[in-house]
Amino acid sequence: MRPRTRKILLIYSVLVFMFFYIPLVVLMAFSFNDSKLGTVWTGFTFEWYVKLFNNSQIIEATVNSLIVAVITTIISTVLGVLGALVLHRYIFPGRKAISFIFYIPVVIPEIVLAVALLSLYGAMNIQLGLLTIVPGHVVFATSFVILVLLARLAGMDNALEEAAKDLGANEWHTFWKVTFPLLFPGILAGALMAFTISLDEFVVAFFTTGPGSNTLPVLVYSMVRRGVSPEINALSTILILLIIFFVSIVGWRMMRADRKGGEV
Amino acid sequence: MSDNMVYLEEVSKKFGENYAVHKINLDIKEGEFLTLLGPSGCGKTTTLRMIAGFEKPDEGNIWIDGKQVEKIEPYNREVNTVFQSYSLFPHMTVAENVAFGLKMKKIPKSEIDEQVHRALDLVQLRAFSDRKPKKLSGGQQQRVAIARAIVNNPRVLLLDEPLGALDLKLRKQMQLELKQLQQELGMTFIYVTHDQEEALTMSDRIVVMNQGQIEQMGLPDEIYERPKTKFVADFIGETNFFEGTVKGGEGSNLYMSIGEQKVSIHNHSNIESGEDIYLSIRPERIHITQEPGNKSQDYLKVKIQDKIYIGSVTKIVASFSDGQKITAHSPYDKTLHLQEGDNLYIYWNPENAVIFPVHEKEKIEA
Ligand SMILES: Nc1ncnc2c1ncn2[C@@H]1O[C@H](COP(=O)(O)OP(=O)(O)O)[C@@H](O)[C@H]1O
Ligand SMILES: [Mg+2]
Repeated sequence: MRPRTRKILLIYSVLVFMFFYIPLVVLMAFSFNDSKLGTVWTGFTFEWYVKLFNNSQIIEATVNSLIVAVITTIISTVLGVLGALVLHRYIFPGRKAISFIFYIPVVIPEIVLAVALLSLYGAMNIQLGLLTIVPGHVVFATSFVILVLLARLAGMDNALEEAAKDLGANEWHTFWKVTFPLLFPGILAGALMAFTISLDEFVVAFFTTGPGSNTLPVLVYSMVRRGVSPEINALSTILILLIIFFVSIVGWRMMRADRKGGEV
Repeated sequence: MSDNMVYLEEVSKKFGENYAVHKINLDIKEGEFLTLLGPSGCGKTTTLRMIAGFEKPDEGNIWIDGKQVEKIEPYNREVNTVFQSYSLFPHMTVAENVAFGLKMKKIPKSEIDEQVHRALDLVQLRAFSDRKPKKLSGGQQQRVAIARAIVNNPRVLLLDEPLGALDLKLRKQMQLELKQLQQELGMTFIYVTHDQEEALTMSDRIVVMNQGQIEQMGLPDEIYERPKTKFVADFIGETNFFEGTVKGGEGSNLYMSIGEQKVSIHNHSNIESGEDIYLSIRPERIHITQEPGNKSQDYLKVKIQDKIYIGSVTKIVASFSDGQKITAHSPYDKTLHLQEGDNLYIYWNPENAVIFPVHEKEKIEA
């Protein structure tokens, strides 16, 4: 590479990097800002973090979000694993069509699904509450889990399962001793994806939740309508740090697994 | 089912409309090293997979050690397979891979450890017990795959082109080691390869397959010296073919013509005068001379086209007056003075030539 090209590439990468991360850095900095208006730096404080942890609304919404995300993750991971195994393993008429159906939620606008669910609940006379958010989230998350796992399965040698059976493992043992361990990094990645999708999903949650049971994004939305409060900055900072923490752990384990030859 | 270790009766397997294996009959004796040999796509792997239980035959029956097995799942069959791509479990160590089959049989831990050690000793990989398969060379992975299979002490070991991915030198070495291992263990081996030299080196008996059917079954030297079909003669080793019509007979000797010259035909092959035949003669069975002396009657006159030094022998390519070519292998020192364009006299013992009817399919039964 010519030095000039290299320089241009370097500047370009720095710009992209700044575009991605400057807003986050600014937000994190202002979560420690003494000023209530949040546009000028007046001094360092932990005040907003203290306020945040004393704000029962936010705590409640966080708990709500976690409940929805955990339930969504469990359901969509189980459904996704089973779905991916069926789609990968069994050749049956209409398999292509069914695979396609699983891709639709990935591209469908969330608002369409939200409205559809809302009218379904209406028609079935279902009372909206926190748990009515879950089906919408499961639809999105399951598709992503299936996508991730199909990719993992495509890279797996089918002969490994045959080798297990050849050595005397029945279907049950073959699955738990060979298929599952090899699939596990994919399952983990899929579950993490499902969890984050559910955690920050706004549109479906906004439309299909019942009165009084806000998830975090819905609450934040209602709060920022009254102007960005430094409390929100503090909350976002905590979320960002948590996500960085989890993603690095998963990423690190996967990297190590690759180096060790498939083990997790 | 008699005293055969494995017995296939009229077994067929179709994929879609095509037969991958068509009505094959096969019996394999206890302790035998039997090789399925044939070109790629001839149905060797499918046959092996039916014995292992990964494919169900569409027709016919399979017996293993006296038990009919079509309805028995792979994990309940007393056979183990060494897969073409090794298929070692990447998330387990070498020792865990080898222990897998014993664990499935719920054998006590201490006994498993002992047997795993013994199997790894056998393939000289004891020192690698705690490594992951990815950290081993191809040859070492191959050995692990073998240890993982034989540790279960199966009635029959199935090997699908197990040396296919190794380089020539390692392959030759592993051929000998495998054969030795098989003799030490006294285990029945069914071995698949498309490499005729490998088959000749290792096998007690060879089954030559073509397009899903068995062309010939026999000892290595039978297959090489007395091929029953043109396909077998062509596939195993190098040979020269000549097509012609049988003449003579009725008291006199049979002969055919190559160019305008007569070639005697030995009377062993149920051949009659007037029949269209192929004659096959191996290059190393052809004698050459530039001085036929008084026996010139028996010699065929050819012209040297090419002389190629290939190490162990020298290869002479010569042509008849009508342009047909013939290849002969001769010791290096006998060919030193030969040159392109020289006349040459060649001769072979008619007993060493093999004759096939042109319409051989009708004659296979004979
Ligand atoms: N799973 C399969 N589906 C369709 N056709 C197959 C399958 N397995 C093998 N075949 C076909 O059956 C024939 C025999 O294949 P195989 O037994 O693998 O041959 P070999 O091992 O001698 O190379 C080939 O024509 C192959 O294309
Ligand atoms: Mg094959």
